[in-house]
Amino acid sequence: MSITTKVLERKGSSFLEKIFLFEIVRGMCVTFGHFWLNLLDNSKLYVRHYPEVKPEITPRWRGRHRLTTHEDGTVKCVACFMCQTNCPARCITIESGERWDGKSEKVPVSFNIDLLECIYCGYCVEACPMDAIRMDSGIFSVTSYDRASVFVGIDDLLATKGAFSEEEYKKGGA
Amino acid sequence: MSQLDILLILLRVAFGAFVPLCFIAVLVWLERRGAAFFQDRAGPNRCNVGGFRAAGLIQNLADAVKLIFKEDVIPGHSQHKFYFVLAPLIVFVCALVSFAVVPFADTLVLSGKGYIMQGIPMSLGILWFLAIAGFSVYGIILAGWSSHNKFGVLGGLRAAAQVISYEIPMGLALVSLLTVYGTIDLGQMAHFQGRLLFGFIPMWGVVLQPLGALIFIVAAFAETNRTPFDLAEGESELVAGFHVEYSSMKFALFFMGEYVAMFVSSALIVTLFFGSYQIPWLSTDTLLANAGAVTIALIIFIPLASAIFTGWMRKNNRSHYDRPKDPRIREANVYTIILWMMVALVEAVLIGYMLNASGGAAGRVLVVLLQIATFLVKTFMMCFVYVWVRWTLPRFRYDQLQKLGWKMLLPLALLNIFITSAVVVALS
Repeated sequence: MSITTKVLERKGSSFLEKIFLFEIVRGMCVTFGHFWLNLLDNSKLYVRHYPEVKPEITPRWRGRHRLTTHEDGTVKCVACFMCQTNCPARCITIESGERWDGKSEKVPVSFNIDLLECIYCGYCVEACPMDAIRMDSGIFSVTSYDRASVFVGIDDLLATKGAFSEEEYKKGGA
Repeated sequence: MSQLDILLILLRVAFGAFVPLCFIAVLVWLERRGAAFFQDRAGPNRCNVGGFRAAGLIQNLADAVKLIFKEDVIPGHSQHKFYFVLAPLIVFVCALVSFAVVPFADTLVLSGKGYIMQGIPMSLGILWFLAIAGFSVYGIILAGWSSHNKFGVLGGLRAAAQVISYEIPMGLALVSLLTVYGTIDLGQMAHFQGRLLFGFIPMWGVVLQPLGALIFIVAAFAETNRTPFDLAEGESELVAGFHVEYSSMKFALFFMGEYVAMFVSSALIVTLFFGSYQIPWLSTDTLLANAGAVTIALIIFIPLASAIFTGWMRKNNRSHYDRPKDPRIREANVYTIILWMMVALVEAVLIGYMLNASGGAAGRVLVVLLQIATFLVKTFMMCFVYVWVRWTLPRFRYDQLQKLGWKMLLPLALLNIFITSAVVVALS
């Protein structure tokens, strides 16, 4: 395979370009075109009116975490500590207890994620052997007035619903 | 001194002092919304008082409140606290005072007495501006030096070098202009520009001195420290340059000083090169002679312009997403009512003038008002050019700046003086 080379023309050395003036006028025409069109009709601005109009989130977006459940509503997590061990930010703290409903041997008694520590890398999702922790909630804005409310526990995590259907999520490469 | 004298002195001084201050708000708004529109953004459009956003002007109020309530820090390591406090004052006051000599209308003749329409009626003219504008850079240098901060010192240093390099071409461009006008008095220059060249071209400075106008405008951009010559600030290299250590209202004084300087140099460019308060083809005498026709034209033109403006506003002032009972449409309705009430008032005054007092003193006042409006519109357009250039051109590199100043503008300005003098001598 031969190497393809592309010769780039070096701009800015001709006389007209060296005296700046014509190029400045050309540039100013370009910017004024934008200004004028936007002034006449401001409905085509390339901005989203953010708090009112939310952006579309793709299924691959790593948003706030959630814990998934079996179809009967019981916790999928088996408290194997894979995510906690794998977490580079050490934001996950799990306490395990014995499980009596026969689905597995262990169950998390508490499952805390410190969202201020979390770097949203998604390693916990990859590490999970049970597909119990996911980041498909579609919540991209984690803001609050106090620290306590961004320190989420197992109840919050279980209550958060996924924002996408199962097919979409699977198609997203999970 | 009669009461009329005192009233007119008060009016002139108030105009010279408050119009630049009002323009701060307008220019900050123009800069932010203009920048946004140049970049296909929307700009500040959320701040409101009871749902009224005044096209984003309310944002200025919010900014002012924020700056007033911020902590005013004077760095403990600074050895020169007096100069530290003095510096923003110098910048602001110099910018404000240099507007005093710019005439904003032709001499108003009332009961046989002429009133010169400028803040301080004196004939120093352009020399006053050059002196004050040269002084304002001391504020920047002092600020950089007394901050005792390496970025500040670098910013001040750059400002000093830049002003030295650009005052010379600016002065030389003015020399050729003064050769043409034969006066340093800005009022007489403005009067000169009311004439016609070959009977159909307005004899504006830019027509007589295109090269001089270009050099002066470039130097004026450098003088006001605006892009592409804002090396003294240069936030990508020097954080904020000379005002790194400033906060609260001291920073605001620098900020406002920059905009006042921008307004004043726009006013000066307009005065020197773009016909000052002169309406093209309509000199003061023509206006006075045809005051009735001008009034009729105004009576027709004002509602037309307002109708176009209303249509534009109603088209654009609405929310661009689903919103129950869109408050922005209600806002536009209120603005429309206010606008048309003002139009009705102006129309009533104009029609009253037509019926009762055409000609005489009222006619002269009408002409002066028209000229003030013309002057402000021209200055506003020049300020827009400042904003436009700022959001088009990147900052010069330091050596490019010096090269442009010394190797291009200076020889061009000298050449311009030779050509102008030769033409003036040949024609006289």
